[in-house]
Amino acid sequence: MIEQLLTPFHYEYMVKAIVVSSLIGAVCACLSCFITLKGWSLMGDALSHAIVPGVSLAYLAGLPFALGAFVSGILASLCMGFVKSRTRIREDAVIGIVFTTFFAAGLLLISIFPSNMNLKTIVFGNILGIADADILQMLIIAAITMTVLLLKWKDLLLYSFDPNQAKAIGLNAATLHFTLLALLAATAVAALQTVGACLVVGMLVTPGATAYLLTDRFGRMMIIATIMGATTAFLGAYASYFLNGSTGGCIVVLQTALFLLALFFAPKHGIVASRLKARSSATALSLQLPNRLQVSSEVA
Amino acid sequence: MSSLKSDLRLDVTGVTVAYSNGHVALHDASFALGPGTICALVGVNGSGKSTLFKAIMGFVRPARGMVRISGEPVRVAHKKNWVAYVPQSEDVDWSFPVSVWDVVLMGRYGYMNFLRIPRAEDKRIAKESLERVKMLEFRDRQIGELSGGQKKRVFLARALAQRGRIMLLDEPFTGVDVKTETAIVDLLRTLRDEGHIILVSTHNLGSVPDFCDQVVIVNRTVTAFGPTETTFTEDNLANAFGGSLRHLRLDHTDSPGAKRNEFVVLTDDESPLVVGENGQLKRHTSPAGGQQP
Repeated sequence: MIEQLLTPFHYEYMVKAIVVSSLIGAVCACLSCFITLKGWSLMGDALSHAIVPGVSLAYLAGLPFALGAFVSGILASLCMGFVKSRTRIREDAVIGIVFTTFFAAGLLLISIFPSNMNLKTIVFGNILGIADADILQMLIIAAITMTVLLLKWKDLLLYSFDPNQAKAIGLNAATLHFTLLALLAATAVAALQTVGACLVVGMLVTPGATAYLLTDRFGRMMIIATIMGATTAFLGAYASYFLNGSTGGCIVVLQTALFLLALFFAPKHGIVASRLKARSSATALSLQLPNRLQVSSEVA
Repeated sequence: MSSLKSDLRLDVTGVTVAYSNGHVALHDASFALGPGTICALVGVNGSGKSTLFKAIMGFVRPARGMVRISGEPVRVAHKKNWVAYVPQSEDVDWSFPVSVWDVVLMGRYGYMNFLRIPRAEDKRIAKESLERVKMLEFRDRQIGELSGGQKKRVFLARALAQRGRIMLLDEPFTGVDVKTETAIVDLLRTLRDEGHIILVSTHNLGSVPDFCDQVVIVNRTVTAFGPTETTFTEDNLANAFGGSLRHLRLDHTDSPGAKRNEFVVLTDDESPLVVGENGQLKRHTSPAGGQQP
C-alpha cells in the first residue's frame, strides 16, 4: 500500500514536477493576496494570455522563454494603460481587447512557425515534460518574486490599501504599481508551464480569495494562502500521477474545493456562519418583540 | 516642534491644473497660510476644490504655479512626513483585512526602516495617538467593524501618529455623529494651538464658522480667501456657488427688534429642515439671489 503511494517519487520527472509545482503554487498564492485585494484578478487573467506571443518569439529568437513572456506581459499592460488613459472606453473592455489581441498574435505566430513549440503546452501547461533549463528559469522567477514580496510586502500592502497615504509619506506609488505589475507578469510566466495560460488566473486568485474568507489580518492571509497554494500544488501534481490526468486541472480543482469549503464553513465570513448570525439576531429581536407588541396594543 | 512652529507655511501660488483631456480644473489659484490655523476649503462639486486638495497633496502636478510647504516643494515635504492626510470615508476599502492598530502604524511607515518594522518608539506614538482619539480599546478590531465616527477617528489617529505639521482632512464630518464631530473639532483646535496648519475640505457649510479661522472659497480659482468673519459672507458664497446653493430666506419673526428682519439659510448638498412654531414652517424658497415675493 505505502509502496504504491510512493511510486510517483520513484520517477525523476514526477519529483521534478511535484517540487516545481509546489514552489510555483506557493509564490502565486502569496502574490494572490495582493491581486485579490487590489482588484487585479482580470488583469492577471489578461497577462497570462498576453505573454503567449512573447513565449513564441523568444523560442524563435533562441532566448529564454521567461524573458520573452515577461516583456510581452509588460508591453500588454502598458498598452492597456495607454488605451485607458486616452479613450473613454471602460477598463474591462480595454483589458478584453488588449489581451485577446496579444493572445491572437501568439496563436498566429505558433501556427505559422509550427516547429517552434507546442500550442498545447502553452494553453494547458506541461509540467511533466519540463526541461531542466526551464526549471532554472522558474527557480529564478520564484526566488526573485518571493524575495521582493517578503522585503516589501508592507509597502505593497499600504499601496493596495491607501495609495494616497503611500504618496503622502513620500513612497513612490508609480514604482510600487510597477513592482506589483512586474511580479504579476513574472509569476504568470512561471505558472504558464505548470497549469497553462487558461488556468494561471486560478493559481493567482483562488488561494488569496480563500484566505480572505478565513481571516481579517493581512499577515495571516498571506501565510494561509501560501500554505494552501503549496499544498494544493503538491497534492495536485501527486494525484495527477494516479488519475493520469492534467496536472493543472488537478491543482486548480483542489484549490476550488478548498475555496468552496471556506465559502460555506469559514468561521466568520462563511455562508453558514452568516446565516447563523442572522438567525440568532432575529431570535434575539423576536424575544424583545412581544413586549413591544403588548405596549402598542395597550396604546391602541 | 516649537522651533519649526514659527517657519511653518503653506504657500499656494498661481496654481493652474489641466488634465490630459485639456480640461482646466483650476486656474491661477493662490492663497497662503501661516502656523496655527484651521482653514476651510469650500466650493461646489466640480469647482476644482478636490483638484486644489490634490495639488497640495502632490497628487497632481500643476501646469503653472507652485505649492510650497515651509519653502520646500511638496515632494520634499512628503519625505519629511510633514503632510498628514485623513481620507474621505468613501475612499477607504473598509473590508480590507487590516486592524485599527495596523492602520495607525501605517502613519509611522515614513519613520521606519526599509522593512517597515516598527520600533518601540513607533509603537509608543501609535498607542498615544489612539489614546488621544479614545480608540485604544478598539486596536484589534478589523476597520470595517467600526461605526462611522470610530472609523474617522482611526484615520485621525494615523495622521497624529505621522506627526505631520500640515493636516489635510477630506470631508471629516460625513457619516459622523454629533458627539464625534465635537470631539474631532476639539482635537483640531488643540492641534491648531500646537501650531499645526489644518486644512479641511468640506460641504458642511454650517459648521465652518464654528471652528474655522480662515476660509478658502473655490470656483475654478480661489475666489475669496481670508478670515472667516470677513470672507465667509453671503455675497462671497453666492458668488462662488451660484445657483447650486440651496438658498432659503426666512422671516425672522422671533426677535422683531433685530436689525435684519429675516435670516438666510445657505446649504450645499443637503437640504436643511427648518422648523418653526408648532412644528410648522412658513417659508419662501427661491433660487440663489432670487426675488422675494
